[in-house]
Amino acid sequence: MPEAAIDLTSVKKTYKGQIHALREVCVRVERGEIFGLLGPNGSGKSTLVKILLTVVKPTLAQGTMLGRPIGDKASLARVGYLPEQHRLPPYLTARQAVEFSGSLSGVSRVDRRRRADELLETVGLRDWKDRRVSGFSKGMRQRAGLAAALVNDPQLVFLDEPTDGVDPVGRKEIRDLLVKMRSEGRTVFLNSHLLSEAEQVCDRVAILLQGRIVTQGHLNDLLQLKGRYVLQVRWSGSIMELPGCETPRVVDQADPLLAHYIIPSSEPQGAQAAIDFARARGGVIESLTAERQRLEDLFMRAVTDPISGEALPPGAAP
Amino acid sequence: MRAFTAILIDIYRELSSKRLFWLSLGLSTVVVAAFAMVGINEKGMTIFGILLEIPFVNSTVLEPGEFYKLVFYALGVRFWLAWLACLLALVASAGLFPELVSSGTVETLLSKPILRYQLYLSKFVGGLLFTALQITMFCLASFVVIGVRGDAWEPGVFLAIPLVTLLYSYLFAISALIGTVTRSGIAALLLTVLIWGFLFSLNLSEMLVNSFRIAQIEEIAAIDRLVATQREKDVAVDTSDLTLEREEAVSTLATLSKAHQILFITKSILPKTEETAQLLQRWTVHAANLEAAAADDEDETQSKRSRRRGDGNFGTTRARERDVTAAIERDQHGRSLWWVVGTSLAFEAAVLAWGCRVFSRRDF
Repeated sequence: MPEAAIDLTSVKKTYKGQIHALREVCVRVERGEIFGLLGPNGSGKSTLVKILLTVVKPTLAQGTMLGRPIGDKASLARVGYLPEQHRLPPYLTARQAVEFSGSLSGVSRVDRRRRADELLETVGLRDWKDRRVSGFSKGMRQRAGLAAALVNDPQLVFLDEPTDGVDPVGRKEIRDLLVKMRSEGRTVFLNSHLLSEAEQVCDRVAILLQGRIVTQGHLNDLLQLKGRYVLQVRWSGSIMELPGCETPRVVDQADPLLAHYIIPSSEPQGAQAAIDFARARGGVIESLTAERQRLEDLFMRAVTDPISGEALPPGAAP
Repeated sequence: MRAFTAILIDIYRELSSKRLFWLSLGLSTVVVAAFAMVGINEKGMTIFGILLEIPFVNSTVLEPGEFYKLVFYALGVRFWLAWLACLLALVASAGLFPELVSSGTVETLLSKPILRYQLYLSKFVGGLLFTALQITMFCLASFVVIGVRGDAWEPGVFLAIPLVTLLYSYLFAISALIGTVTRSGIAALLLTVLIWGFLFSLNLSEMLVNSFRIAQIEEIAAIDRLVATQREKDVAVDTSDLTLEREEAVSTLATLSKAHQILFITKSILPKTEETAQLLQRWTVHAANLEAAAADDEDETQSKRSRRRGDGNFGTTRARERDVTAAIERDQHGRSLWWVVGTSLAFEAAVLAWGCRVFSRRDF
């Protein structure tokens, strides 16, 4: 098995001996993939990233990052990081901020100059590079921060809510940039609340809840497992229940005889009995659509208590 | 080294982006300009061309070069550098460490391949070098003024750079620690100034109690001398009054010695801001051959104090003021460089170590 970018076998963080922010977290991030760490507020996502980046001291951290033990400072020279709500020094220009970041990572003067120019152009700040960041909008600061995170040509990039405050065009550009990074062989570790965005770019995801990983794997596999079909049937009289389907719904009140049925099956055979049943009783099949589960559904299912059916409370568990 | 240089440049950019930096520089320029506007001639002292006829302050008594050096020490160093410039530097740098540990900044810095204590110390050294740069500019300008106006090119003025930087470093280490713990620039500044005030008061108390203590020693010696003289003249002379005075002096000395011991021990473990600044008087004034002038100045001050109290020097009646003053000076000058600077640096190192520990162990 090739060496993973991040291979955590056990990470724990307990604050003041009572608050368990992370419990036995076990995560594997392959090289060259975009990995999404998802979870509600206070679930421990940022704490995990901060432990990997030596910002937070772990109670226990077993595992490796880029082949080195967790906490190894030297390995951070090959890592880029854009923290959530990061603050670039307001007295610096965009170029100075990027170069400063490069200097701290040990990048030579020539390289950081060149990289700063390239990256600021990539993130769309070419015409703003010699302006102070204090005059930047939130989105522009986010772009400058992204350039600063990449100045050391990192193998592994941690991005905490990278599209936060960025307009839709900017978000698309950042998503494209993430894909470009992956194509360049970099590993991207993405912390995001925006599930739709994570769904668009992530290869693999993990969902963290109350300091535990509740599910992780390839996004396609996770979503495929819970696929479903949507069947639309037009009835001439009253709407009928169909075998193997959830309770029918009328989506459009102006068209009360058009019923929507959810067939919880990822295989087409699961829909055949319902179709046959409907046709035998005069129903007209208007459409049958295979619907892949959305990440949001997966997420909500993961954070819902299976017994009570209510969302589990966010935050670290005592 | 690359990271250290980057942090230095960053500190320069940060501090120079503040108005206070330019205010401080402007005030430095004003002080130097005022310094240049002061002159001395055969008739007296001139300020902005206005002649002030002050007794013993004219070029026949004091050479222009020596006069300028004295003004540099009294105005430039003791008043400006050791107090106001230090205070301005503290105000300007109070936000450095709270900014370092602020959310959104510290995460980026700690995620770099730099050890935490290196980051902390680099920031500290950077802040210090920046202040040293300002002091250097002031000393350089003063050097030129003394040279041009007083025709005395005195390199001794540059001793102010390490000494005032050293003095500032004690306070900056405290400010850095408080800023790191509280994450507040205002708290760092106010508490540091408060501690500075405490150090000043402690120094003043110790100096006063010590002066009284030494004066009592001199008093006892003076009584002993008097008794001996009287007995030489007449062996059967009644010296009971003097014996009573001596016993009182011994009793007072015991109380003062105890009080002084407590103050001295407390002072020994704390930074000696005042005495560090006074080192410049020991060295610069000596280098400028101004010891006599400074001593005269001190004598006059002592005399004024004595007159104010309306008794002998520091509560004595038998001891000669000159002897008491000389003994106090001997005691002050007998305090070694190690005691003044070494113990202060040891305190500073302890505060820095504490700051590094706090910064290194904290989760952000």
